Amino acid sequence: MTRDDPVKYFFLWPAFLVVLAMAIFPLIFSLANSFMSLRLVPPMPARFVGLDNYADLLQNPRFWQTVKTTSIIAFTAVAIQFIIGFALALALAKRVRGADFFRTSFLMPMLVAPVAVALMARQILNPSMGPLNQVASFLGFPNLPYLTDANWALGSLIAVEIWQWTPFVILLLLAGLQGLPDDVYEAAELEGASPWQQFWSITFPMMLPISAAVIFIRIVESFKIIDTVFVMTGGGPGIATETLTLFAYQEGFKKFNLGYTSALSFLFLAVVLILSLVYLALLKPYLEKYK
Amino acid sequence: MSVRDLSGSRRWLAFVCCCAWFLFTIFPLYWVAITSLKTPPDVVGGPTYLPFVDFQPTLKAWRELLSGTRGEFFSNFWSSSIVALSSSVFATLLGAMAAYALVRFPFRVRLLSGVAFVVVAMGGFLLGRDVMGIAPASASILAFCVALALSVFINRFPLPGKVMGNDDIVFWFVSQRLFPPIVVAFALFLLYTEMGKLGFKMTDTYLGLTLAYVAFSLPIVVWLMRDFISALPLEVEEAAMVDNVPHWRIFFGIVLPMCRPGLIATFVITLAFTWNEFLFALFLTNSEWQTLPVLIAGQNSQRGDEWWAISAAALVAIIPMVVVAALLGRLMKSGLLSGAVK
Repeated sequence: MTRDDPVKYFFLWPAFLVVLAMAIFPLIFSLANSFMSLRLVPPMPARFVGLDNYADLLQNPRFWQTVKTTSIIAFTAVAIQFIIGFALALALAKRVRGADFFRTSFLMPMLVAPVAVALMARQILNPSMGPLNQVASFLGFPNLPYLTDANWALGSLIAVEIWQWTPFVILLLLAGLQGLPDDVYEAAELEGASPWQQFWSITFPMMLPISAAVIFIRIVESFKIIDTVFVMTGGGPGIATETLTLFAYQEGFKKFNLGYTSALSFLFLAVVLILSLVYLALLKPYLEKYK
Repeated sequence: MSVRDLSGSRRWLAFVCCCAWFLFTIFPLYWVAITSLKTPPDVVGGPTYLPFVDFQPTLKAWRELLSGTRGEFFSNFWSSSIVALSSSVFATLLGAMAAYALVRFPFRVRLLSGVAFVVVAMGGFLLGRDVMGIAPASASILAFCVALALSVFINRFPLPGKVMGNDDIVFWFVSQRLFPPIVVAFALFLLYTEMGKLGFKMTDTYLGLTLAYVAFSLPIVVWLMRDFISALPLEVEEAAMVDNVPHWRIFFGIVLPMCRPGLIATFVITLAFTWNEFLFALFLTNSEWQTLPVLIAGQNSQRGDEWWAISAAALVAIIPMVVVAALLGRLMKSGLLSGAVK
């Protein structure tokens, strides 16, 4: 049977063209601009400056500050999401009482618009009208400036990320746990392995590939964070919670410095790529060991 | 009861942990829901928790929102709905078609023709804009078409270098998700502005936003649909091919109906993504087609601490997706999504 019909192009090309025109071409356009000195306000003709934009950025402490902030948010949030998510997925997979109910309700935060989540967080963390500070003072803690102190603001953003995206970790890990074969556990049970041993020598190693994938997806996605920061702190206090995307937005939309912003977004891409490569390289020996 | 189930005190511990997480999950949602029912003095006077006990609920905030006395909100709701629904439909359809082609037919793309595309597109654009002085939008379109035609043409020749197959094409699609969207959002904003100068209005239009959403949903659609389609049995399609049924009829008449559960799951995921999307909407729309997330993000600075009104507006964005969450939970229960994460 022939499976090489020209009709295949009719199926592939629409999707291919849309992605090429709407995602790849803008990327090339941006790359071309990043070697230019180009401004909209005040208007300035394009001038080729080579790698100057990149050199400027690498010397800009604000760029490194945003890289640091974004990394702290992404890594801390994803680590906590993974631990909580794994525990809850295990509980659901082991059919805890009310598992069906929990499974549906745990998913909810993931589908709430991040912008709305940020508004909810602002209400709850509000120093005078919010419930959190009231509970804190009731228990004898001092009133805390959740959104106006640099460290607390960062912590609040991380908490919001955890609230919103742990469901994603639960969703994928649960699917993975349900796919594990029963017979291994039956054998372990016969050998008298404790649940703790079963977890560390069967469940965890067998879940390693999917865990690696989940963590990878979450870190890449967390690096793109803007909506929650935009609404909750606007990058403040000062620039203490400014993330990479927000920085690029400020440069591009407030200052209209096009070449600089394009270079910034490419450096951002480079940061993500380097992180991914390091992550995959670090993980490779473990993934092969348990294959 | 299988050996993997919990027993005794562990079972209770797990239950307590799940309840704790449930409270953590539900409290913020409960809080906005009751705040939207409070009167301004109830909000400003410090936190209150229980309707009818702590405070008297009122529908004032909702009435104000729905009657439009506090600014237009219906138009944002409609543009959000129209853009999210239609871009999810298009993305699911185009993605399913691409996934079908990638599962059933062999493709060969030479690395060199891909490189040629990038070089010609970028060089052509710079040449057109900065040397020949063509308007940036025309230069972009021209460079894009020339580069595409050239790379398709040279792909026919036995060029040296790596030849990429279907898996590489899938990877190419999926790798779009790795890019920070700000790179593309900002470039699209510039390109759309330039197009506007030529007379094609793209910023703040249905077409402009929908195209961007389709392009950004396609990677995940292709990835999910590939798994769903490759799980389908080949026999039915082969039987139809023996009867000389054309491929497009096989696809629309046999393949799509057979993977309906997968299509629904993919559609729902795409819908959630496009409904909540913020960055592209922020860059590419400003009034007519502004979506709900952008409107809601603006509430905070416009309204200060009018939490009752802000909560009602936020709930309008949340409720449709909570309904979707319930639907997704149903789908998961039937084990639909377990195939998608292999």
